[in-house]
Amino acid sequence: MKRSNIVAPVAAVLLAAPAAAQAHLVNSGLGPFYDGALHLLLSPGDLLGLVAAALLAGLRGARAGRLTVTALTISWLLAGMIGMRLPVTPDLTWLSVLSFLILGVLVAFDTRLSPLAVAALGALYGALHGLLNGSALAAMRAAPSALLGSVLTVLVIALLTAAAVVPVRVLWARVAVRVAGSWIVAVGMLMLGWLAQGVA
Amino acid sequence: MTQRRLWIAISWLILSFGFCGPVLAHESQPGLLELRQLGPERYEVIWRAPIYYGRPHPAELQLPPDWLTVGEPTLRQLPDSALHRRVVDVAGGSIDGSVVRFPGLEATITDVFVRISRLDGSEASLVVRPTQPYAELRGERPWYVASGEYLVLGFNHILMGIDHLLFVLGLLIIVRGRRMLIKTITAFTVAHSITLAVATLGYAHVPGPPLNAAIALSILYLGPEIVRVWRGETSFTIRHPWVVAFGFGLLHGFGFASGLSTVGMPKAEIPLALLMFNIGVEIGQLAFVILMLLAYRSLRVLEFRWPRWLDFAPGYAIGSLGAYWTIQRAVMMF
Repeated sequence: MKRSNIVAPVAAVLLAAPAAAQAHLVNSGLGPFYDGALHLLLSPGDLLGLVAAALLAGLRGARAGRLTVTALTISWLLAGMIGMRLPVTPDLTWLSVLSFLILGVLVAFDTRLSPLAVAALGALYGALHGLLNGSALAAMRAAPSALLGSVLTVLVIALLTAAAVVPVRVLWARVAVRVAGSWIVAVGMLMLGWLAQGVA
Repeated sequence: MTQRRLWIAISWLILSFGFCGPVLAHESQPGLLELRQLGPERYEVIWRAPIYYGRPHPAELQLPPDWLTVGEPTLRQLPDSALHRRVVDVAGGSIDGSVVRFPGLEATITDVFVRISRLDGSEASLVVRPTQPYAELRGERPWYVASGEYLVLGFNHILMGIDHLLFVLGLLIIVRGRRMLIKTITAFTVAHSITLAVATLGYAHVPGPPLNAAIALSILYLGPEIVRVWRGETSFTIRHPWVVAFGFGLLHGFGFASGLSTVGMPKAEIPLALLMFNIGVEIGQLAFVILMLLAYRSLRVLEFRWPRWLDFAPGYAIGSLGAYWTIQRAVMMF
């Protein structure tokens, strides 16, 4: 009960944030590169899955981390470039939410996937969100360096998160990582529920 | 060898950031709006719009509609800015609460200093940022509000200064050992703080174009030193990086000073502005160093590896970028 009390307002903020961000590119006052980075940091729908993918990769070891960080970043960049050229018009919010929810479930259960499988999931997530991100940037008429800003932010977040988890060996710390995954699932389920009700 | 490879990844990360359009040149000077009371209801308005990447600044000055312009506004073209001057009559005489707007500023990376001086001798100043391109004129601000504004200004200034960051990255690659790293970064900090203070307080002035060219030269200088490090060779810079950091730090301090204009600033506010701007610069620099060290550690943990021929890339890339900027900025001097 206590957790749902916290999760609901958090999710409300998360849902509200992307809508506001889509109106126009957030202005950092530091040019398009930082605008792009800030756009990603203020898009929780993108961030949660990114963190989940990095946590999952970290739980599966250095090789999984290395492959996932590389695959996720490259696919995000390529799909982002495509998205900026050929913006996606259909509303894929539900798919976006579903993707980070699934990654959250995999983290919560500490699913024993092979490094290649984790990297493939990371690449898929990067491709989907890169495409959506690129399309959003195109809709805001952002400069290409905004995409570069967001992709470098993706790289830094994925790299630091995965590397923070890889050395974690003690049980309680791994449980803490899994709990983080369960929170991502909770937020995802709430967002899906609201999407189904047409709130978002 | 592993260490070299890890720095390659970080260098490419930064260099790719360096090639992002306007971030490249770090030439954006702040704008300045001066409002000087001439009579009970009369004010002189001076708007200094800096040249923005070689072009007239896209931001305009929009005064409140009830301010009536007296006589003809004038425009003087200076080498680094356009100086707009006009005299206005303000009904009632008080400008407090009036809103001055800068349409177009939101699409730039320029900050604008607004300075107000009244007949009773009172002075006030504020900073307008692209994120909120208007100024609500008011009396003196509490010290903590002014402190916050100058802190953010310093922080943003270092984030926009890819040339300064690239120099710091070059130092990080050259330096060996934690103690030497602390010594080198401290030397750079002390040096640029000295010249930042000297320039801001008006004791010395270095013209922008040769200064920018010299800063670019400091980056070019580090390129061959990085290659030397990776070849296992030694040099004065490699043995005593803190000396070089101090020397070039003096130069970079003059560059930081370009982000802080004290023209027309209330005298009492100058020390506070200088201190907080410098702290903002240091926080930004420290954040960059920490981020780079964290990225370095992360690449080690994840055991990243790549072909050996890429080992020399950062040295050549930093050197090439330094050379490009040096030539570009030297050409701009003439």
